[in-house]
Amino acid sequence: MKKRLLLQLILIFALLFSTVSYAADVNSTRDIPVGGSGQMEMVGTIEPTILSVTMPTFVPFNISSSLPTQNKVISPRIKMKNNSNVPVRVDVSYTKVDLSKLDNVKWSDTGMVSDNQIAIGLKQEESKDEMPESLAQARWLKANQKQDMNVLILNANQEGALYVVGTMGQNVSDNGTFNVTPTFVVSKTSAAD
Amino acid sequence: MAKRKKQLLSLAGIILLVAVTILICYFFFARKDDNNLLYDDNATVGVLPGIDVDARRKELQDQLDRSMIAFSINTSPVFLNGTSEGNLLIENPGNNAKLLRVSIRVDGTEEEIYASNYLKPGTYIESVKLDKVLEKGTYDATAYFSAYDEANGEYIGETGAQITITVQN
Repeated sequence: MKKRLLLQLILIFALLFSTVSYAADVNSTRDIPVGGSGQMEMVGTIEPTILSVTMPTFVPFNISSSLPTQNKVISPRIKMKNNSNVPVRVDVSYTKVDLSKLDNVKWSDTGMVSDNQIAIGLKQEESKDEMPESLAQARWLKANQKQDMNVLILNANQEGALYVVGTMGQNVSDNGTFNVTPTFVVSKTSAAD
Repeated sequence: MAKRKKQLLSLAGIILLVAVTILICYFFFARKDDNNLLYDDNATVGVLPGIDVDARRKELQDQLDRSMIAFSINTSPVFLNGTSEGNLLIENPGNNAKLLRVSIRVDGTEEEIYASNYLKPGTYIESVKLDKVLEKGTYDATAYFSAYDEANGEYIGETGAQITITVQN
């Protein structure tokens, strides 16, 4: 009985001793001692923000007084895709307008036209693949002058679309041609609407 | 006697055939001239432009789709000083099928401070030196991407991206 008790005590001491020595051994191999202080260098690199977009460089359109709608422009769908991870805004920075082939025709940059005026603008797509019929909420292009006019805001990896819209006075001939060349400029923005 | 009769019958048959041919030709050709139907050489085969809005719109859409470009650029390139290289990171992606040229102009003054040569699709430029030496500071500028037809080099159109250039020293 005594032998057995002695054996149990020896075993308990042996176990305790081995645990303490293991703990001491673990402590001795650490780089930073317990209760001490250490310094670790953290290197941060700021990745540049890359703007990546898909957009048109040329926007063809037709205008005809014979269209029955308020909007007299036949426009393609002007697709724009933000391939970036940040929201972007699309502005028209400048619009080159050449009316020299139209006799006695003037430009209107408000959307209101007199008999010999013509007005062209851009409008955000309301229904997919449907040309706008009305001119409400159109943004009107100013001829041959700097204009920072926002036409579209796109979230990260979002696609959007615009249409050319316009109207003309009753004395403007249907037979002439004219050139309107807007320059789209895309920029990083903080938040999308 | 019988031989002569055969000859006469053959002759009559030939005369009848010629007469029928002349009659058919008369109905097909001569009668049209009588009605004076003169067709206009100036006419073009097809649907009049402007009448079919959907067809016209499809043509315009095709033109616009051909002018689409994709591009990438660093919005905030940094230059150590006015003569060092900076990380402009401009790219003409491989799916563009167009040549691109980049011109950077400072907003306000419109002074061109950098102009690239043509970039083929599937190529990029990581770092560039500006063509003009800029003083230390921050400059708002616009990078204009001009697109050209890859096959014949014909100019297609232009679009831009707003960037901020920093010259550190």
